[in-house]
Amino acid sequence: MTAPAILPARGAADRLTGTFWRRPRLLLVLLITPPLLWLGVVYLGSLFALLLQSFYSIDEFSGVVKEEFTLKTYGELFRAQNLDIIVRTVVMATAVTLACAILAFPIAYYAARYARGPWKAAFYLGVMLPLWSSYLVKVYAWKLILAKEGILGWAAAGTHTSWIIDGILSIPGLEGSSLSTSPFGTFLVFVYIWLPYMILPMQAALERVPNSMLEASADLGATRSQTFRTVILPLALPGVIAGSIFTFSLTLGDYIIPQIVGDSSRFIGLTVYQLQGTAGNTPLAAAFAVVPILIMLVYLTLAKRAGAFDAL
Amino acid sequence: MTSAVEFHNVSRHFGPVKAVDRVDLTIAEGSFFAMLGPSGSGKTTCLRLISGFEKPTGGQIRIFGEDVSNTPPHLRNVNTVFQDYALFPHMNVRDNVAYGLMVKGIGRAQRHARAEEMLALVKLDAYGDRKPAQLSGGQRQRVALARALVNEPRVLLLDEPLGALDLKLREAMQDELKALQRRLGLTFVFVTHDQHEALSMADSLAVFNDGRIAQIGSPQDIYDRPATRFVADFVGSSNVLPPALTRALGGPEQWASLRPEATRLAATGPVSGTVTALRYLGSGTRVVIHTGDTEIAALVPAGQPVPAEGATTAIAFEPSALHLMGAN
Repeated sequence: MTAPAILPARGAADRLTGTFWRRPRLLLVLLITPPLLWLGVVYLGSLFALLLQSFYSIDEFSGVVKEEFTLKTYGELFRAQNLDIIVRTVVMATAVTLACAILAFPIAYYAARYARGPWKAAFYLGVMLPLWSSYLVKVYAWKLILAKEGILGWAAAGTHTSWIIDGILSIPGLEGSSLSTSPFGTFLVFVYIWLPYMILPMQAALERVPNSMLEASADLGATRSQTFRTVILPLALPGVIAGSIFTFSLTLGDYIIPQIVGDSSRFIGLTVYQLQGTAGNTPLAAAFAVVPILIMLVYLTLAKRAGAFDAL
Repeated sequence: MTSAVEFHNVSRHFGPVKAVDRVDLTIAEGSFFAMLGPSGSGKTTCLRLISGFEKPTGGQIRIFGEDVSNTPPHLRNVNTVFQDYALFPHMNVRDNVAYGLMVKGIGRAQRHARAEEMLALVKLDAYGDRKPAQLSGGQRQRVALARALVNEPRVLLLDEPLGALDLKLREAMQDELKALQRRLGLTFVFVTHDQHEALSMADSLAVFNDGRIAQIGSPQDIYDRPATRFVADFVGSSNVLPPALTRALGGPEQWASLRPEATRLAATGPVSGTVTALRYLGSGTRVVIHTGDTEIAALVPAGQPVPAEGATTAIAFEPSALHLMGAN
């Protein structure tokens, strides 16, 4: 007897697979509906609620939120003290992003182009390990490292390099009794905490640049720096942008590091936290929270216009 | 004639692996030189030694008489067409071709004009504004060629440039490459594992085996007079006769090769065997005769009688067609 041309269905799994084969869209719909609901309702919904709140205002005498549409709250952002917070946060986020990009590039480049086998595993472990430990523990550890009697000050005294720390602490804007109370300390901790978020996308982008492309550039007469500027950087740019979105927006929104390390000057995240929590001024907190979103949109538009995503 | 490239006892070892081992080689200026061999035989490493992407672990390489031991790739007046073409995906075709001129600091208008000339040379005049991703494989190959030629290199290196193309396109490109080489009078060094490609295109070729050159010579030399068993096996459809069989056929006790075209079927002879396979080729029929452990192919021209499978037949040939060779 010859085998039949059509095999009998063995059970529900066979019939289900058959249904999915006849209706290819069905599986897709089943798979993406739950996450879409989550994203649409919980995530975008809360964002929309936030946006709505920012158009309300607060009654200055009673402290009650008035549910009428007004741009008054946004106007408050332009008061000198609030503008100061925004500018300080953006400057810090920019400095942190630049420092992360400069530190991350050689590490990501090494990992993408040279590390193999156990070295690659060591790279992933080295980059990810700090992410697995508690954020607060890391920040407090840094406070101790940067404190006046901390290991950094001790090492500087031992090597007669205290003048470097003193020099940094005497720069206008970075003053403090020690690094742990100077804005420079805040900067260092931000860079440490967010660095993995820059390294990983950069490494992924660099890994996709084939070696032959670098060889072709050298073959055609380019120096190392020309190859870097005209081939490696443009091809790695989407990764750099992805990483900078992380470091930039995480710094814009963080409210813990500036409380623990630094001179207690206020940043957007901390301000939102205080306005929402202690002051009860939800509309202004919401308006502050919209600022990073707008900044990121402007940043991405500029990056797109500069051709950062052409290589995607 | 000047030599474009010379290898003097050149080796490239990767730890215990001898990718290239004590190779001596001279490539004449203006010639079309092919490096032929199976994968892992060292031919691509040799090409990379010329371009500078590999450094020899021993020996000396000269390009137009000059020792290039300390010359990095970007200062060698040698350009490469890469196997995967390696076109820059973020630049359009014109900028890709003009890249070599850009890094030399030549102004935009001038380098674009020059790039257009090169694109015209490879018949892609209208494609300057496209991105590499919008081109077919054959078109990308031409862009890679134009990009490598824009710097007016003294030697053009081609690493299996036709490997990714389908048969028809490959044949067309073979003719075009050959014509281009003649027209420009440049030295082309061409790496391939395709013996037909090497034989039909090259003025001379080197056959690589295990990091060493098994034979170097003109296509006729290599096809008609393979120096070793390996060359006969790899290059031709030649019959390779072990020493005992050569002796039985009236030669000395040595390895020999015999081309199927020179092999005839006869009623009687010193060696006979069983017909095990027939392949109709149009211009004739290839008959495989099994004798002892050896298979011998004979080409029976169209119009002559062909034996049936399983029949017994003897083989005959002109004594001059038997070519003796080394064992390796």
